[in-house]
Amino acid sequence: MIYKTFHVKTLFYLLPALFIFLVFNVLPGLTSLVLSFFDFTGFETNLFRKFVGFDNFIKIYEDKYFWIALKNTFLFVFGAVFIQTGIALILSIFIFFGNFKFSVLIRSIIFFPCVLAPVSVGLVWKKILEQDGVLNAILGLDFSWLSSLSLVMWLIIMVNTWQWIGYNLVIYYAGLQSLNIELLEASDIDGANWNQKIFSIVIPLLWPTTILNMILNLIGGFRAFDIVYVLTRGGPAHYSEVLASYLYYYSFAAGGPNKMGVGASVAFVIFACILTIALARIFISKRIEKN
Amino acid sequence: MKDSSQNNYGATFKRSPIFYILTRLVILFFIIIIIFPLLYTLSLSVRSPDTVYSARYFLIPYEFSLQNYYDAFFYAEEKLKVSFPRMFLNSVIVTTTSVSLIIMLSIFAAFSFSHLRFPMKESLYNVMIASVAMPAQVLLIPMFYLLIYFGIINTYLAVILAYAGFLIPIGILILRMFFEQVPNELTEAGIVDGSSDFQLLTRILLPLAKPAIATCVILLFLDTWNEFIYAMIFMQDPTIHTVPVGLAKIGTSRYHINIGTYSASVMVSIIPVLIIFTIFQRWFIAGMTMGALKH
Repeated sequence: MIYKTFHVKTLFYLLPALFIFLVFNVLPGLTSLVLSFFDFTGFETNLFRKFVGFDNFIKIYEDKYFWIALKNTFLFVFGAVFIQTGIALILSIFIFFGNFKFSVLIRSIIFFPCVLAPVSVGLVWKKILEQDGVLNAILGLDFSWLSSLSLVMWLIIMVNTWQWIGYNLVIYYAGLQSLNIELLEASDIDGANWNQKIFSIVIPLLWPTTILNMILNLIGGFRAFDIVYVLTRGGPAHYSEVLASYLYYYSFAAGGPNKMGVGASVAFVIFACILTIALARIFISKRIEKN
Repeated sequence: MKDSSQNNYGATFKRSPIFYILTRLVILFFIIIIIFPLLYTLSLSVRSPDTVYSARYFLIPYEFSLQNYYDAFFYAEEKLKVSFPRMFLNSVIVTTTSVSLIIMLSIFAAFSFSHLRFPMKESLYNVMIASVAMPAQVLLIPMFYLLIYFGIINTYLAVILAYAGFLIPIGILILRMFFEQVPNELTEAGIVDGSSDFQLLTRILLPLAKPAIATCVILLFLDTWNEFIYAMIFMQDPTIHTVPVGLAKIGTSRYHINIGTYSASVMVSIIPVLIIFTIFQRWFIAGMTMGALKH
């Protein structure tokens, strides 16, 4: 510390960033919560003219597609948190302990989709999954993958996993590199076989990394919009809508209802989901500390 | 850092042939899954328009041609009123401006968090960290009206400021952690030598912080270059579309588009990223891992 106490000069360092953060992050965030109680469209200038109480929330509560979007969001988050993390864990263990000659190259290839725009990734897969696409040609089928009500969400999850698995993989790999290898050598002397080593030593030791990956995927999962927008636009008939795309549909989409207030109340729901999970996490980690 | 491609850790597993074969098969399978879609799109984009629907083993074109790239270029110009070079220019302008703005402001703010005192410091910091978890879409509607109110909607500035508000916390987070790791002896020596706070930052901390700044640049570059929803809604004027927005318009348009033209457009967005990634892959992977570990 340079100064023992608060000094006016500090403000010159802090204020520019703080100002932008407050005006372009905190202010809209709080306004969003307030706006969910008002009815307004994209053409209005005075947003706070028509207070409607909980009408917007009642509207989405009664909308069947809201529940589909909510369900899909949780499905998507579930896929990202458990399936994607799980596959990344297996892959990282295989690459790390498999003694590959080209380990760096393998990781770079699997990581590469992470640096692409989700829009590009979505467009690549859209052509592959189309009815006259290459997937059907390989499998010898004539199936419209993205029009299937039951499969469409899983396909979106698959494409998302395809893109982000490398991110979880390199994080796991960093975790494996900092692993205490002596434990494995000790287990070697004790005559443990490879699945004992993996399930009783490596995976438990990687638990903090697993938690980190799960949290990153959880945050990313609620953010998903681009890939849904590009692959299906929420279709067929809103069956692959997630909360973010549902918000977009209600407030901005051409040909949509253009009800911004309803969109704001969807934003409120997303906010509430994140907040609940954050509080649950704090609560759980406190419980664990106590025990 | 020398990567441990020849580590000895595998020794503990080497004696198990099942494990050896299993790992090869699984990794090969995943490599194919990752590479195939990209190769397939590349293959589509270099087929001549007549042979676009057929190829040997789905991948090797019968007839090579760059016709699709010409078509993609003119398609964008005609239907979108914005050419690919222009989209790239827009993306470059938005990305470089917002990344440098965010880095600069974050350096100063992170310094005040790590080496200076002010009231409510930790609570303010916690609010910033909490905001990182918020999805950008929550801010979408009020931000839209805020930018209209400031009269900067449909300009580069709209997106740049929105990105700055959203990403400054990440910059502060990473840089503060780093500044606090700098040994106290160094900063104290600087103070004894009579350096002012500004000199302390620019002469002592910043030269040491190069890796942290590189991490920030990579993370922010990826976030801003690939960002879609803000760029789409806050810059609806076609002439300032960024690459993802223009591409999404091409890819999801209701007009008929030739599959070759479509694939060429997608490849135009992927190839520059591929080149940059190939050159800087170590930095990308290290940067993104470090960024994640700091969360």
